[in-house]
Amino acid sequence: MIIAERKPMEEIKQFVAPYKKVLVAGCGTCVTVCWVGGEKEVAMLASQLRLATSSEGKKISVLEATVERQCEKEMVEEIRDKVAEVEAVLSLACGSGVQTMAEMFEDKPVFPAVNTTFIGMPEKDGLWVEMCGACGDCFLDRTGGVCPVVRCAKGLLNGPCGGTRKGGKCEIDPDKDCAWVLIYRRLEKQGRLDLMREYYAPKNHRAVKRPGRVQAIKA
Amino acid sequence: MKLKTKIGIFICNCGGTLNNIDFDAVVKKVAELPGITSIKLSSNLCLEEGKKKMLSCIKKENIDRVVVAACSPEFSEHIYREVLEKTGLNGHLLSIANIREQCSWAHEGDVTEKAVELIKMAVNRVRLLQPLEKKEFPVNKEVLVIGGGFSAINTALQLSRVGLRTTLLQQDATLGERTGGLESFYGVDRGTTISAAQADKNIEVLTSAWVEEVGGRVGDFSVSIRKGGREILRKYGAIVVATGYQTKLAVNPAIASSSNIVSQQQFRSMLGDPSLEKEPKSVGFVFDFSDENSRFPTVAALSNALEAKKIWGSEVYVFCKSIKVDSEGIERLYHGARDCGVVFLKCEVPPTVVAENGRVRIEAQDVFIGEDITLTCDVLVAEEVYLPSEKVGTLSSLLSVRTDSRGFLQDENVHLYPVASERKGIFLVGECRGGSDLGRVLTDISSVVMNIHDLLSSGKALVDEERVKADPQKCVACLTCIRVCPHDAIQLIQADNSKEVAGISDLACYACGVCAAICPAKAIKFQGYRDEEILAQIETFGESLDGRDVAFCCEHSAYHAADLAGKLGLHYPQNLRIIQVPCAGQVDVFHILKAFEMGAAGVLVMGCEEGACHHIAGNTRAKERVRYCNTLLQEVSVDGRSVAMFNLSPNAPYKFVRAVSEISKTTKESGR
Repeated sequence: MIIAERKPMEEIKQFVAPYKKVLVAGCGTCVTVCWVGGEKEVAMLASQLRLATSSEGKKISVLEATVERQCEKEMVEEIRDKVAEVEAVLSLACGSGVQTMAEMFEDKPVFPAVNTTFIGMPEKDGLWVEMCGACGDCFLDRTGGVCPVVRCAKGLLNGPCGGTRKGGKCEIDPDKDCAWVLIYRRLEKQGRLDLMREYYAPKNHRAVKRPGRVQAIKA
Repeated sequence: MKLKTKIGIFICNCGGTLNNIDFDAVVKKVAELPGITSIKLSSNLCLEEGKKKMLSCIKKENIDRVVVAACSPEFSEHIYREVLEKTGLNGHLLSIANIREQCSWAHEGDVTEKAVELIKMAVNRVRLLQPLEKKEFPVNKEVLVIGGGFSAINTALQLSRVGLRTTLLQQDATLGERTGGLESFYGVDRGTTISAAQADKNIEVLTSAWVEEVGGRVGDFSVSIRKGGREILRKYGAIVVATGYQTKLAVNPAIASSSNIVSQQQFRSMLGDPSLEKEPKSVGFVFDFSDENSRFPTVAALSNALEAKKIWGSEVYVFCKSIKVDSEGIERLYHGARDCGVVFLKCEVPPTVVAENGRVRIEAQDVFIGEDITLTCDVLVAEEVYLPSEKVGTLSSLLSVRTDSRGFLQDENVHLYPVASERKGIFLVGECRGGSDLGRVLTDISSVVMNIHDLLSSGKALVDEERVKADPQKCVACLTCIRVCPHDAIQLIQADNSKEVAGISDLACYACGVCAAICPAKAIKFQGYRDEEILAQIETFGESLDGRDVAFCCEHSAYHAADLAGKLGLHYPQNLRIIQVPCAGQVDVFHILKAFEMGAAGVLVMGCEEGACHHIAGNTRAKERVRYCNTLLQEVSVDGRSVAMFNLSPNAPYKFVRAVSEISKTTKESGR
């Protein structure tokens, strides 16, 4: 799932400063699940904007809308009327959603209200951690299903480095697990520790030719 | 198209005692509201005559929603709900304006304007209320009792007596292996109990077995049991945990294995052992230093001391701190022991125990004579620490039931009924929930049996249907609610179109609203406390004027405290508007922001004391949310306005008044 984080309020306030009527647009998929861009967050940001402008003596009208997936044109189409009413849109979706909106409503500025940060999973209630860097050349078969590309601070394919702390923590951040310790433990459980002795050539960082395109077979 | 609602308002002046409200003016002002079909003023609405008039008015004028402006809903809500139901209306289409405790009695001088505003709040809310129907859910009538000791067997026996079948599950190989602890000191015969259980047709005994997995909810638990090499899958309506306790000698581990340092239980067997080589001439007892609250060690030590005197005629010395004789029979035992010549030595500090030459030396400081005492005894009955049985940790996570700080089952939360856990249908009996004595164990058993009988005996349970519900269209299955539900009442289910969504079990739900407040998709609707219904009340102040302080008050604590403040005539600022919520954990950040947007000067979220939330973590979640909300407010610098969290108990009216007066003072000083 795509994880995002809300942008600092100062930045958002600057985006909307020139406008009198804006739409806060949420997305009902990934960003709802990570508590940053669903209907609740839309309502909270809209409320905050109204409070911000009223305390500055300005008046702003803030509309709210949430679509199921902002990265789908057909779904964004459902809020065309609301977009028509406003001067600018603040999108709480990931970068993909923001761009879909921007492409569909070219005459209106669409601002991102969140920073899209990574692909990840919830570690516990309210905490998400990075799991995948979308590198286009998956390596997980060799590492017991633990990705060293994003979960090792150094992105080492041949780990661990010399800095693993006691208790299997990372030398760069003692709160984080050393990915290579996790890999070792996992391979140990599977009786595949021989894989630890393999050396891997540098990764193909051009596996995805930017901009990426994936064509599914048309059945 | 929605049909026009017909709202009836029934105002009661409580026998003409609410003198600071001009009721004629209230009636006139309220009449201006749209959609009001009828306004009736009464002086005895809660009495038979008042209820009759209310009933006939609702029928005659085809009223479909009712506002009652009278005393606190604590007293009267059920009365008026009944009246509505008698007329054929749904009892939930009722909103109460508390114009007595939280208006007339709470302020000095004329409060007509506030009374009008409270009625307007109730009217705005009642327009949006939706009917709530009761539904019957089938429940499994079988009960699983985990444990093989005295409390487990007796729970099964008593459940059998009320006609409920039980499975008595224990890890030991023979039934009753763990009996003979607590109850033997009270003269209870273990043999009778065990044979009664074995003969009982309603009791299925599973020995050498243990629980592997527990799924489902109250009325329909599915339990996977491992017995020998096989796995048995069973369904139960309720689960009782009665796993007892274990003890550890509280002496230096280096000497704990000495044969003359024994536990109460071991000493008891020595007393009845005819093959004992040598009767001890002197016996020392040490107890009461590690746990001040335990009745059972007192009974055990006193009866053992008495027996040693009677059977062997030994010299007996008891080292203790302060014996509690507040349980049945203890005082008699104590006097009996003294009369027989047992010597009691009161110490503040636990005595030092040293093993020497096959005897035990006890060094202590007697607080009465103020001198050090050294005694050498043949046998020492050492202090024992009571611990939860070894399986409690696993059970706690299997059942999703929390343990207390000592590891016993059952939280220290005062709002949980003694035998209830935070999950409906899971009960705790006896020593597994901490120190106890026989009297308490028996009370536990009776209350559990009564609870389970109520719950299961008819084979069905009648509860509100979909009071809290996740809209399958809006739910994105983010699992947030499942992770935060304090009562484990939510699970993923297949919605009609086979999409997976959060399903809230009506039977297991305690209606706290913690899930509704956190749902990022706003998919969870809690009837009576939906966004619309809360905002309708807040928007009422918007119509009047700024400068209102809003307090979201938990119905278990702050709302009662506010009522009590009124009853005691404690006055607080008139600009306070109370919104009743089922738990502080139901208050949504969005509701707070909205209150500020509508011009509220200050906002308070008031919940139960920490560690005493009815919904376990509702108040701590509320605290987190309040903190988060303040960050959001600072980001948009709302002229320093902020929201405060306040914890108090229902019997703390002074604390309530201090808190609300404080916020009013702060808002006034900053000129709002």
